[in-house]
Amino acid sequence: MEYALLQAVFLPLLLSPLAYIIGRYVGHTAATWFTFGLLLYCTILVITASIDGTYEEHYPWTELFGEFGLLLDGLAAPFAIMIYVLCTILALYSKPYMLHKFQDFFKEQAPKPVYQSDGTTLQSISLEKFVNRQSGVYYALFLVFSMGMLGTVLATNLIEFYIFFEVMLIPAFLLVGFWGDYPRLRIALMFFFWTHVGAVILLLGLLAIGLSVGSFDFADINEADIPPDILFPAAVAIIIGLGVKLAAFGFHIWLPYAHGSAPTPISALLSPAMIGIGAYALFRLIVEFLPQTYADLSIWLTIWGVATMFYGGAMALMQDDIKRVFAYSSISQMGYLLFGIGSISVLGLAGAEMMYVSHALGKGLLFMSAGIIIVQVGTRSLSKLGGLGSKLPITAVCAVIGALTIMGVPPTSGFMGEWMLFYGVLETALEEGNDVRSLMFALGLVATVLTMSYMLWMLKRVFFGKLPENFSKVKEGSWYMLSPMMVLAGFTIVLGIYPDIFLSKIMPYMQGVLGG
Amino acid sequence: MATEIIATEGEAIYAWMIWILPFIAALIIPAVGKFSKISTGRIAVGFAAMSAISAAVLLPMALDGHEIHDQIDWISALGLKAGVLADPLSIIMANVVGWISFLIMCYSTGYMKGDRDIVRFWFWMMFFIGSMQLIVLSDNLLQLFFGWEGVGLASYALISFWYRDKKKHHVGQEGRSALGVMEYFSPTHAGMKAFIMTKVGDIMMLAGMFLIFAFAGTFGLRELVNETGWAVEMSAQGLLVPAFVLLFGGAMGKSAQFPLNEWLLEAMTGPTAVSALIHAATMVKAGVFLVARIGPIVFALAAAGILANQFFEIIAWVGAITALLLATQGMVNPEIKKVLAYSTGSQIGYMMMALGVAGLSQQYVDGYTAGFFHMISHAMFKASLFMAAGSLLHVVGSRFMTDMGGLRKKMRKTYAFMWAAGLGLMGAPFITTGFWSKDAIFAAVYESGNEWALPIFIIAVLTAVITAFYTTRMIGMVFFGKESKHVQKMESDGHHIHEAPKSMWIPYGILAVLTIGIGIIGFSAEEGIHHLFTEYLDESFGIHSLHVDGELSESLGFLSGLNPIAVGASLIAFAVGFGLGYIFYIGRWVDPAKFINSNIFFYSLHKVILNRWYLNAMIYWSFVIAPLWACRAIWRYFEKTVIDTGMNVGLERSVRFGAKVVQGTQTGVPQSYLYVFGAGLLFVVLILLI
Repeated sequence: MEYALLQAVFLPLLLSPLAYIIGRYVGHTAATWFTFGLLLYCTILVITASIDGTYEEHYPWTELFGEFGLLLDGLAAPFAIMIYVLCTILALYSKPYMLHKFQDFFKEQAPKPVYQSDGTTLQSISLEKFVNRQSGVYYALFLVFSMGMLGTVLATNLIEFYIFFEVMLIPAFLLVGFWGDYPRLRIALMFFFWTHVGAVILLLGLLAIGLSVGSFDFADINEADIPPDILFPAAVAIIIGLGVKLAAFGFHIWLPYAHGSAPTPISALLSPAMIGIGAYALFRLIVEFLPQTYADLSIWLTIWGVATMFYGGAMALMQDDIKRVFAYSSISQMGYLLFGIGSISVLGLAGAEMMYVSHALGKGLLFMSAGIIIVQVGTRSLSKLGGLGSKLPITAVCAVIGALTIMGVPPTSGFMGEWMLFYGVLETALEEGNDVRSLMFALGLVATVLTMSYMLWMLKRVFFGKLPENFSKVKEGSWYMLSPMMVLAGFTIVLGIYPDIFLSKIMPYMQGVLGG
Repeated sequence: MATEIIATEGEAIYAWMIWILPFIAALIIPAVGKFSKISTGRIAVGFAAMSAISAAVLLPMALDGHEIHDQIDWISALGLKAGVLADPLSIIMANVVGWISFLIMCYSTGYMKGDRDIVRFWFWMMFFIGSMQLIVLSDNLLQLFFGWEGVGLASYALISFWYRDKKKHHVGQEGRSALGVMEYFSPTHAGMKAFIMTKVGDIMMLAGMFLIFAFAGTFGLRELVNETGWAVEMSAQGLLVPAFVLLFGGAMGKSAQFPLNEWLLEAMTGPTAVSALIHAATMVKAGVFLVARIGPIVFALAAAGILANQFFEIIAWVGAITALLLATQGMVNPEIKKVLAYSTGSQIGYMMMALGVAGLSQQYVDGYTAGFFHMISHAMFKASLFMAAGSLLHVVGSRFMTDMGGLRKKMRKTYAFMWAAGLGLMGAPFITTGFWSKDAIFAAVYESGNEWALPIFIIAVLTAVITAFYTTRMIGMVFFGKESKHVQKMESDGHHIHEAPKSMWIPYGILAVLTIGIGIIGFSAEEGIHHLFTEYLDESFGIHSLHVDGELSESLGFLSGLNPIAVGASLIAFAVGFGLGYIFYIGRWVDPAKFINSNIFFYSLHKVILNRWYLNAMIYWSFVIAPLWACRAIWRYFEKTVIDTGMNVGLERSVRFGAKVVQGTQTGVPQSYLYVFGAGLLFVVLILLI
């Protein structure tokens, strides 16, 4: 299909004002279904485009930067599909969640009615109008956020990549700033500063590479053309910049705030989809384009990964807010990705990408179940929750499947990613006879026990045990929220049993990158 | 008779069906459960039966020594295939698992009657059976690991089955603690503990699998035998034994072997049907099965000149230590299910001991057969004992044996069956399967002829004494003596104590009768398996055995294959253990409490054993309490202080402070600007002058 990717990327951007208009003048439900339909169409475009191997589109852009290209290859396809699948189903999921949020906001934000001296009341805004207006803004931003993430993984040009990288940040910032939890503005700013500073460091690296190569197009980048004294600092700048995005150990502090505070559908996009794009960029920019530097630095990525795995897991144990548990868990999971990217092995790299996919599925499920708990129960403190398994059975099942995915228990896709990733690290350790890598392999395995501990403990405190008396009237969430979760749960199990769906795309790419 | 791959589609499909059918049932059950809860039970029992029948269909083929090896594409991007490997070992195991599962499913229809979460129960039971059969029939380690984690997951879900954590579903005595660690566990806590502890074993197993895959390039169990180049290279790098020991680590976790044994006791929070199926008859045997699967591969390497004695030594010693350690604890525990759980771990120790010793002797098949035969006989009598204990719990409503007592007239059938199965556990001479299998282990250990033979033999005999003692104690406390206050209260409250319903006593009755029935022909049964495995090991792994038994047994008749010392030790152990048990708990000539308090040595020994040798407490201190404490310290003093405050608040404050400093200079008063200007001018002039 012609222009498939161009449509998939730019339709959401171009039609986002329409989403606002529909939301404002037709209503909340209409905006939901419009956004859902649009994203569904774009998802189908992406999936059909990816079926027959590599698919690319090139368009003329400026003389200065080069071509504007969109590339859907073995690396980008799983990322792109996961991002749009999540965006699509979360559009639906947003409906009841955001309605709940807007109603809360109505109480605190809507202008109070004004009583005039002649005895009449000046008509203040009605709840319905308030909700419609807010949902218009929400869905418009949602669409822009989605396209920003997709564009980043499809870009074929350093500048194009950077632009999309920042485009996804702005709506995310606004979404947190408008509908986050208190102190929302402060947290949104913190989120923005951290990731923006990271992005700027990344930009320095990108510019250094682009300028020394003389072209920003991915196709022209060749490690040999870059003078060594620029190459190394540029690679480090890129890794640090992406490390902030990944919230790797040391640069992670913004993440628990942002993901804890963001409205839950957005957390479910930020955590599984967005931060993992840092891993995508590491694959593309470091592993693919700078293989020599990658080989030199890879062991540090592995070590950094293990540190992040442990740190995120240990901190997740200490949280009381359920969303913060998941946020720290995301940090830990990004450690797994780094750990796998650091293995110079086909299976390890492919495993890391499978990990992205399964983390997207698993963490998506977990954040969505947290959202249901917030809406239906009204608290998110683990010490107050308990025994909800009997009240929210479907949510509980989905949360357990999500947790199993994160823990890497078969038959969920988590196991498929995890074993390949760990095997890859061990393979390189044996090949090089490298003791540090062997040690990292062993520590990484121990970290999976830590992952299991915080997940099971979370499940126990939320769904098991005695039901507190004030929860006796809790009801299961609406189908708008449950059916998206069931889709993801089904997906993680299918992918866990039959991973060929993605692996058949990923493997040739990884072999090409490392073999070439 | 040659081992051959039978290509007929007709038979291979049965091998697949054995494990696929339960999974299909698991898929159907939740859907059906929406409409009719009762039919879910029927579906479960029906599918369990079909799965067991599929296994039975293949039994003649396996007894002839044939095998089916059928593969399909699985992860083609990595060139991995899925397959079933139905050889004599796996088919016999599949039959044991299949038929015991079927009986326990029948039992569950009575035991779980009226539970509001019955659909969930059936789902996980079927999921468990499917996963277990997947372990048994997998032809490669990766696929086996799927089943391995599947049974772990089912075990977690079923241990925590009563997730509302009511008091009656806890295990342990309330308020009891050792070294400050509470020894009183809720179902959800117990499930978590089991899952995490077995996971520790599982990561070892994964590491071992990866090491082997890195050198061999395959997970296939048969492929590893056919081509031994990988082993030569691994052993040159000194990685062969570590890899297989790591693999054994998985077995240690799943089979509750020392030091990963502590989860099994808390696993008793699950419904008793679960304890019988998962934590006695099948899942905990998965470790034994794994050792039986990989043991011959390692032993066969000896033909290529690669010795891996340490591997077998570790297995034998882990088994021996576990057997003794857990048996001692079985002597003192007041909870009936926990006594049985200790006993399970201890008996699995026996099996491991046999499988380990096998690799240290010339006659691999002796120990191998002994271990495997003991697994079969243990599966029967222990499942029966657990189900009978379930009946007692059901009727009396308490897990403590001190709340029972004097029940032999009220529950005659249970009483009889418990004796039958209990005699199997004790190894009552000549009539029970337990005797023959235990005797085979004794003989294998004694005849193995390596340096550790004697100490391990002594441990084995000592454990047998203790086993006979605690079994007698259990039966004595439950059925003999006066009725306890609890029972009297129940009677006076109008709860008449009566025999369990038919659906419950028939299953354990069958198994109890089988324990005795097969016991009577026990020796020839063992001979049959021995013969079968001799050929199996020869054909599939090239492990040759000296055929000494054949001629001798013909000339000397029935008991020729028996080792007189092993038989003697077995008899003495039974007599001593039973006799002591009789004195304290059936005849009640001596009060055990008085005896323990009679001197300081017995008193402190009793206390140490009752506190589980402080193992559980030490594990909690070093792997739960200390790490949590460390995490809390990092959280408070690093994450919140250094990183959060330092980076976010600190950065903001320093910018504000800087702004204030700069602001201070911007006074807006011309005079002050002039002063500064003048001072600067003076400074420049001075510099110029100097």
